[in-house]
Amino acid sequence: MKNIFLKSKISNQLGWPFTVLFFAPFFFTACGNLEKDISLDLPVYEPQYVVECYLEPGQPFSLLLTKSTPYFEPFPDDLLNFVNNIVVDSAEVTITHDGVDYVLANAPTLNPTTFKLYNYTNPTLVPMEFDHDFSLKIITPDGKLITATTRILPVVPIDSVVVEFDEEKDTLARCLTYISDDPSTVDYYRRMIHQNSLIDSIPQQDFTTNDDYVDDRTIVFGTGYDFKEGDTIYNTIFHIERAYFDFWNSTFNSINSNGNPFGQPSSIISNVRSADDSAIGIFTGLSYYRVMTIVKK
Amino acid sequence: MISKKLITLAVAICATSMLFAQQTAKITVSGVIKDDDNGETLIGASIYEPKNAIGATSNEYGFYSLTLPQGNDSVSVEYSFVGFQPKTIRISLKSDVKMNVRLGTGIELQVVEVKANSYQESIRSTEMSVEEITTKEVKVIPALLGESDILKVIQLKPGIPSGSEGTTGLYVRGGGGDQNLIVLDEAVVYNASHLFGFFSTFNTDAVKDLKLYKGGFPAQYGGRLSSVIDVRMKDGNNQRFAGTGGIGLISSRLTLEGPIQKEKSSFIVSGRRTYADIFTRQINKANADKEDYNPIPDYYFYDLNTKVNFDLSEKDRLYLSGYFGRDVFAFDGDFFNFNFSWGNKTGTARWNHVFNPKLFHNLTFTFSDYDYNIETKVTGFSFKIGSDVQDANLKSDFYYNLNDRHTFRFGGNVTHHSFGVGRLKAGSDDGKVTFSGGNDFTAYSMAIYFGDEMSIGNHVKLNAGLRFSGFANEKFYVGIEPRAAAVYNVNTDLSFKASYARMYQYQHLVSTSGISLPTDIWYPSTEQIKPQRSDQIAIGVEKLLGKQYLVTNEYYVKWLRNQVDFVDGAQLFANDNLENEFAIGKGYGYGMELGIEKQEGDLRGWVGYTLALVKRGDFVPIDDTKVFAGGDSYFFPRYDRRHDFSLVLMYDVGKRWTFSGTAIYGSGDRTWMPVGRFAFQDVYGGNFQPVTPVYGERNAFRLPYFFRSDFGVTYKMFPKWGESDLNLSFYNVTNRRNAFFLYIEPQYADGVKPEKDPFAIPTGLAAKQVSLFPIIGSLTWNFKF
Repeated sequence: MKNIFLKSKISNQLGWPFTVLFFAPFFFTACGNLEKDISLDLPVYEPQYVVECYLEPGQPFSLLLTKSTPYFEPFPDDLLNFVNNIVVDSAEVTITHDGVDYVLANAPTLNPTTFKLYNYTNPTLVPMEFDHDFSLKIITPDGKLITATTRILPVVPIDSVVVEFDEEKDTLARCLTYISDDPSTVDYYRRMIHQNSLIDSIPQQDFTTNDDYVDDRTIVFGTGYDFKEGDTIYNTIFHIERAYFDFWNSTFNSINSNGNPFGQPSSIISNVRSADDSAIGIFTGLSYYRVMTIVKK
Repeated sequence: MISKKLITLAVAICATSMLFAQQTAKITVSGVIKDDDNGETLIGASIYEPKNAIGATSNEYGFYSLTLPQGNDSVSVEYSFVGFQPKTIRISLKSDVKMNVRLGTGIELQVVEVKANSYQESIRSTEMSVEEITTKEVKVIPALLGESDILKVIQLKPGIPSGSEGTTGLYVRGGGGDQNLIVLDEAVVYNASHLFGFFSTFNTDAVKDLKLYKGGFPAQYGGRLSSVIDVRMKDGNNQRFAGTGGIGLISSRLTLEGPIQKEKSSFIVSGRRTYADIFTRQINKANADKEDYNPIPDYYFYDLNTKVNFDLSEKDRLYLSGYFGRDVFAFDGDFFNFNFSWGNKTGTARWNHVFNPKLFHNLTFTFSDYDYNIETKVTGFSFKIGSDVQDANLKSDFYYNLNDRHTFRFGGNVTHHSFGVGRLKAGSDDGKVTFSGGNDFTAYSMAIYFGDEMSIGNHVKLNAGLRFSGFANEKFYVGIEPRAAAVYNVNTDLSFKASYARMYQYQHLVSTSGISLPTDIWYPSTEQIKPQRSDQIAIGVEKLLGKQYLVTNEYYVKWLRNQVDFVDGAQLFANDNLENEFAIGKGYGYGMELGIEKQEGDLRGWVGYTLALVKRGDFVPIDDTKVFAGGDSYFFPRYDRRHDFSLVLMYDVGKRWTFSGTAIYGSGDRTWMPVGRFAFQDVYGGNFQPVTPVYGERNAFRLPYFFRSDFGVTYKMFPKWGESDLNLSFYNVTNRRNAFFLYIEPQYADGVKPEKDPFAIPTGLAAKQVSLFPIIGSLTWNFKF
């Protein structure tokens, strides 16, 4: 009723052209769906070998060798078939350190603690040794040679973990994690924080950083007020090498560029080498410090 | 080597031509050409003496100087300008004449002749690869959300494809978005966009005109590789107090102008502001009590243009102008707040002095500033990051009309640049933990130039010039930039043209996306980052058909050196060693542009088609430990657009109605798509990623073609207090969903929640296309008094 009155008043004063022009935009503006499915015809892709090997002092030598697939290849029905579809068996895998060869047997192993699967293992424990390189050599079933080199870095411990409740909403707390950085070296870190479980939860924070912006020795990592009393917080600081920093960032850039018009896709920056770019992946030492904290008032 | 030969040739032609030119006594006709209605100087007006077939155009300040043979007779000199009634004035050839001319708006019967004269001047001129737009045209062309935008209209001209849909980015003849020199009253505008590039910084009410050079750059311009966009603000009405303004869907505008002292001095003040934030604040207020409500952040932009000018004497004129614009994006929450603001400031002081009828001088001081700041506060911690660039520039330009054969332009400039790159300050409120970083650079650039526009015989004109430029930061770079443009006039309706230009660019934009972002950073040339360089050759033909239609056809080829791109996985944000993220390479582009335009009569408009190709390659990272995948071969950049077609029509029906329409077709932008995938297990605690994309050849995939058609209608009203109009426009009338970007969505079985289940496996991948704008109607009310 009100609109009709307004319309007639405008029409009387300014005539029909005004009326038509005034109301037309509202009739014609569409609010339809701005997203639609399309089909993409991607170029042919030659699958590559994918290596993941993390040398954790005190743990057995373990390596996962898989193959990549064309992007739109159909997915198997379940996780087991998915894994069987990509793992590569019958390769020769050797890690050499300080003149000793460690041959990794093709024996699929699921670590019950970490829920991580490796298809090449050697029960010998990785030595905690920082001065000599570890070298990887893989000869694939079709005769391709894949190599890589890494070194284990010293652990950078967490100095302290501080849990603070918000002054106003005292039911929620945040967590501050302090470490000491060596100002004489360029260091790279991966920071991870989990709430209540390390296995069946997505990390609340998972990112890498270097020490470029550190004014003094102290680096602090914070969280939002996300934790309740009784929560268990797992704080992990990985001291990582540059190659792992690049690999991890390029991998997550690659994942995160999907759907982001401002994002910059990236190739996967690997430290494994092969003659004809037939392999990608990471071979790195794994030095980390983990602290478990139960949130209390 | 090529440069040396060109310089030698230019000097030889210049000297020979000068010898011939000294044989007969001459007189000079000079003055300033203005709009009779408001006293605005007219830039590019045509002055032509048909008997001797001698012509000139008014310069950026309306000044002209025409040399004619001395004699006892008088001759008729024709003064004309697009949309104005021409004047023919008898001038005695006995001695120098000062002739200031005022042109009024034309009556319908004479407009065809006006346009013919104006087009004939274009055909006679050595200028090529130039596009001009006046705000009169811009205001009737339909616009996104009713916001008329001069930069978006210039994108409709051949050879100037836009970036992503709806944005103001310009990719001229295969150049990058950072290779355009945008100047407002001669001051550099570093980021000419609002709202993440969807609107330009130029308020149409405050702008007089825009001229864009795609090639054949005159020697007075330098500093960017691919285009010069020269935007001139209005001077202000020196006849009477006047106002213009408008109320639109997202913003309102108001411009006031008038004489300070009639005929002698004037002012103009023009402002614009968006008002979405006023509504969103009310919505937030109304929902403040709802627990689950997420407040809408504040967003607004505004800009303010001001200008005053004074006739200090018959020979001196002073202009002072300024621009201030800012975007603000802010959020204020319980635990978290941020304030993100960015904007440009420019200031210009100019002093015109006419030494004598042949010699005109302009001394300019400009100041430019662009900065962005992001401030974030999370309880107990704060984070500030920002970057800025500032220029202070002193420039001197001379215009000397030696005789009827030679017009010289020469001058120089020196600029002080300061760059604040990625300034970061973060830490806890108690001061126990602090982070800081960032780099500051101070640099100087300078240039001297000389150009001679010479007539050789009755059919040939040559504009030969040379520019020496330099840039001092960690290293001193020198650039020798030869320029040449020639025209061969077959007759008054047909000419052939050619040009060559070398350009250097000493500042580089750090940006990886195809969209202009406020966080893009300007970075100077350093010891490792050499200046960018381009060489462009263009040939073309201009033909006047039936006195009303100007047909232009140009072909160009361009070579690019020291092009800047970024290594894979570059960390561009908060990085103290930003330089190590650069990769340096080469590029080339070539193409053909065809345009037909008609600018007078009831039916006006233009049609343009561009066929182009651009490639980049040979990229080498500065830090050799970093990777630029596929950089050693040549690849298409995102903005490689093979076909680009645009049609713009405006049609007046009587005095009240104007109908307008545009149609744009373009090949889709290129994009970099994954071709393979692998499963990434990660370490203990890390997130299993069943789909990690492996990207294939860089930008090998082309998005679907782009098509959009807009329609507008303007109804003029003539109330007693002045004029007003209602402009109704429909953006994308066919409601076509043009691709803005693509993404791949993993699909999961019913009940599977990947955000909760770290071992979830997709059942398939679906490609989705996202569009930005459906059909959008908007209504704008404009007024003028």
